[in-house]
Amino acid sequence: MNENDKPALSRRFLAPAAGSAAAFGALVFGARSASAQGADARATLAGTSMIEEVKRRNTLRVGMSTFVPWAFRNKTGELIGYEIDVANRLAQDLGVRAEFIPTAWDGIVPALLAGRFDAIIGGMSITPARNLSANFTAAYSATGVDMAASKRLADGMTTIEAYNRPNVTLTGRRGSSGITAVQRLMPRATIRQFDDDAQSILEVVNGRAHAMVGSVPRPLFASLDNPEALFRPFAQPLVRQADAMAVRKSDPDALNFLDNWIMLRQLDGWLEERQAYWFGAREWRDQVPG
Amino acid sequence: MARPGPGLSQLDREATGGPYARWRRGFGLADGAVLALVVGACLLLGWRAGMALDYRWNFAPVWAFVVRYDTERGWVANLLLQGLFTTLRVSFWAAIIAAILGVLMGVARTSRLLLPRLIAGFYVETIRNIPPLVFIFVFYFFVTSQILPALGVEDWIRRQPPESLWWIAALFGPPQQAAGVIAAILCLGLFEGAYVTEIVRAGIQSIAPGQSEAARALGLSRAGTLRLVVLPQAIGRTVPPLAGQAVSLVKDSSIISLVSIQDLAFLGTEVSASTNRVFETWIVVALLYFIVCGALSLIASRLERRFAAHNR
Repeated sequence: MNENDKPALSRRFLAPAAGSAAAFGALVFGARSASAQGADARATLAGTSMIEEVKRRNTLRVGMSTFVPWAFRNKTGELIGYEIDVANRLAQDLGVRAEFIPTAWDGIVPALLAGRFDAIIGGMSITPARNLSANFTAAYSATGVDMAASKRLADGMTTIEAYNRPNVTLTGRRGSSGITAVQRLMPRATIRQFDDDAQSILEVVNGRAHAMVGSVPRPLFASLDNPEALFRPFAQPLVRQADAMAVRKSDPDALNFLDNWIMLRQLDGWLEERQAYWFGAREWRDQVPG
Repeated sequence: MARPGPGLSQLDREATGGPYARWRRGFGLADGAVLALVVGACLLLGWRAGMALDYRWNFAPVWAFVVRYDTERGWVANLLLQGLFTTLRVSFWAAIIAAILGVLMGVARTSRLLLPRLIAGFYVETIRNIPPLVFIFVFYFFVTSQILPALGVEDWIRRQPPESLWWIAALFGPPQQAAGVIAAILCLGLFEGAYVTEIVRAGIQSIAPGQSEAARALGLSRAGTLRLVVLPQAIGRTVPPLAGQAVSLVKDSSIISLVSIQDLAFLGTEVSASTNRVFETWIVVALLYFIVCGALSLIASRLERRFAAHNR
């Protein structure tokens, strides 16, 4: 009995004491929180910014996918391409090393969100759907969706209406903005999706599909490589687009740094010069085997 | 060792056909007809592929991605061979994890106690009833986004001095990708472990109950019975199917290319995208897989024969 009474007695005194202590604490810390919590939040945000992590790690991890001429392999198996140049230059200006993490294109945004790399620098077009899950920087290259068609199957088909029929088969890269564009422009056509451009070009060259869609200038390069099998039905791109880097959401420091870096490299003409090299007359062709 | 009860008998090995059949008969008329039919079908297929497809075959760029000549270092492995090495590394570690997990779970599955049986049963049934592709997607993103960052594997690797980096590179491939490779090894090991569990369970349960009853009658404890009597016999019987499972693990390892691990299958897609030689790349990749798995199958059948003789 006595042993049971004792704690009950002390509890009777303890409870109000603890209550008032808690109220006092809340008063003191509550008064402090307005300014201090803001400072805390800012410190946390700055500390966990992608830019800070990159500097701490001394490495910029870049997510990309093989995609001629944005990022592909030269004879020695090393990565080359427009986006490889961009990422290397960005890393150099940050004072760190760039590290490339090749990732399948249709899983690249989930991989960014899972933290496998710091940014996607791989010729990614801005789309509202993608923008809902990741943030985009300012656009740094203007591209579009173009088409290369089979000379045998699509002879004389040079209008969008001609391709907007159920017996027309179009190919493209899974998850690419080209697919989204033809789904909108040619909703009645049959669309078949592949993991990379090479496969979708091959289907058209082999006469198993009418045309392939892809980002400018890939369809042009494909028709130059296969002049007897392919032609370009449209002089202008089907859709105009803008490519940008993608980073995780809620990181204003990273967005600010990248946006300003892009602006400066546009002003000094470096980005334009690189675009001319990679998207122009293919001076890089002797670096590729075959 | 005691002669096993129901198992591979002399009769099985002398029956015609089957894995233990010996070359006995001469080359007959029927054999010639079948051979001619197969060769004819292959030639027809080759001719169709060459003519009807209207395809200019060009293997040169793809071979250049298997090995290349470096002016300083001579012949060096290029992307596809590096991918094969990654495949072998991942398969090796996944096989070890699967073996450890499989033996533990296999023993648990035959346990007298309910809890180990439930745990092992849950593990096996969960994994065997999910397609490998779905399993790898779910589990890999869970491992890479939750478990590995919590353990700090990636930061730990980056802090290593050069000499231990050399070891990491030898065991798991390029250090900057090692965290992903380790995650993939865990996934693959966990996946294959379920199949190893069933093989081990079958091996233990195939030992005649008289064996353990006799061991118990001689005064051995339950653990002693398992360790000294049941497992030594069970291992002999499970080695052939385990060797077969190891071969299929190498082939199954290609699913990790879906989560962008730089293995042979993934670098195959990279090479085909870079060279535009889709058919040629996949034929070469298939050839590389075939060489490795064929060699492993040969070793497996040697093992099988040896253990079959040993068990007699």
